Amino acid sequence: MKFLSRLISQLLILSMVLLPFSTQAGMISTDQVVTSAAAQADRAKVADFVARADVQKQMEVLGLTPANANDRVNALTDEEVQRIAGKIDSAPAGASSSTGWIIAGVIVIAVLVYLYWK
Amino acid sequence: MLHDCKARLLAGFIFLLLAGCASFGPQTRELGKNLPADFPQRTELAQVPFFPQEDYFCGPSALAMALNAAGAAVTPEALVDQVYLPGRKGSLQVEMLSAARRQGYIAYELAPQLQDLITEIAAGTPAIVLENYGFSWYPVWHYSVVVGYDLPKLELIRRSGFKPRLTMPMPVFERLWRQEGQWAMVVVPPDRVPATANETRYAAAVVALEKSGHLKNAFIAYNALLKRWPASLVGQMGRGNSAYALHDLDTAEAAFQQASREHPDAAAAFNNLANILAERGKFSDALVAAERAVNLGGPLLPTTQATLDEIRPQAEAAARAQEIKAQEQAASKAQISPPAPAAAPAPAVAPKSKPRKKRTPVS
Repeated sequence: MKFLSRLISQLLILSMVLLPFSTQAGMISTDQVVTSAAAQADRAKVADFVARADVQKQMEVLGLTPANANDRVNALTDEEVQRIAGKIDSAPAGASSSTGWIIAGVIVIAVLVYLYWK
Repeated sequence: MLHDCKARLLAGFIFLLLAGCASFGPQTRELGKNLPADFPQRTELAQVPFFPQEDYFCGPSALAMALNAAGAAVTPEALVDQVYLPGRKGSLQVEMLSAARRQGYIAYELAPQLQDLITEIAAGTPAIVLENYGFSWYPVWHYSVVVGYDLPKLELIRRSGFKPRLTMPMPVFERLWRQEGQWAMVVVPPDRVPATANETRYAAAVVALEKSGHLKNAFIAYNALLKRWPASLVGQMGRGNSAYALHDLDTAEAAFQQASREHPDAAAAFNNLANILAERGKFSDALVAAERAVNLGGPLLPTTQATLDEIRPQAEAAARAQEIKAQEQAASKAQISPPAPAAAPAPAVAPKSKPRKKRTPVS
């Protein structure tokens, strides 16, 4: 994961230095009206790119096909990507399976017993 | 059935534990004090459909309930591929938001307040909440849909798991809800602004919908946003941008005219106005707007400068063409008999005939 993001950021830096930099004339998107000046800096764009690649990779590790992971990452806003980047393993994932309930119940009983006998 | 009994038993145990250590949470205690006098004492949104949850799929089923209540026709199965993460055996909050947008609806996160939650219910919008039945060190997360409340009884009514109607005392709910930062979201159709919406955060939700490609719905939502907050710059810009993307140039031009008039410091408004005016052949007005956008500077300067650089030669060419036309007319007036077609130089540049290429917004 680290290797991948490092590779991507290095490629990005290289392409930014080497490729001619040009800004297109045209409409300014609503998105750009809301995002702060800091978020529009090239540095922020690189960070966003890397975070997206990272989240997509993580999603594939967690069982999604590459195409589905790509779709789902693209459906997230920059802010949402930042919220889960690097935290996809620990971020709350609403599930509540029956096994989860049973384990939780066992723990609750254990705590109750402990509190009672202590 | 066995599963059901077990769940009930366990819920009972958990309830005992919670009741034991939970006195009223601060939000439940404060609830009565801040509500308006005419606030309904109880509400239940019986029309919210129920989709029983299959193992681990409480995310898709909660989302399907909220979406169907908002007017979509979608099953939990269809949402599994958009929110469920097999490796986590659950669904992430951000994907609950993005999946609602993918259906063309607005996904809005509520402020972490019990009062906001029941205000939305009273206004007719069910809310998806994230509870933690475990502990911070052993979390058991669960999404359910709050469809009602009863203030005198201090109860919430939820659709959860296999239960189409489950009541829960508010203090217990508050405790389960508090662990994940009182997270709640609503799904609303684009023409409706949530009752407790905050301007900035609602605008961000609409921008996200626009970016997801649901342009028609985004346009409707920007109009709804402007109805509630008429001065919103994001609303006016978004209305213009989505109308432009839908090829409604009249509306787009009017929106950017309004935005540039009401927000004379917004370089983006002048930049987009300049682009549309140029596209419609109004080059001298376009030049004025483009120059104004550049003079305002700011982080968008590279784009506004590029716009000006593109429009200036067009405006000059248009002015020249007009001059030539005027001269031609003067000449033909002076010598009425021969039309003298060779006298006038052929128009070197014909800016109007050259279709401007479709622009992609820079982002």
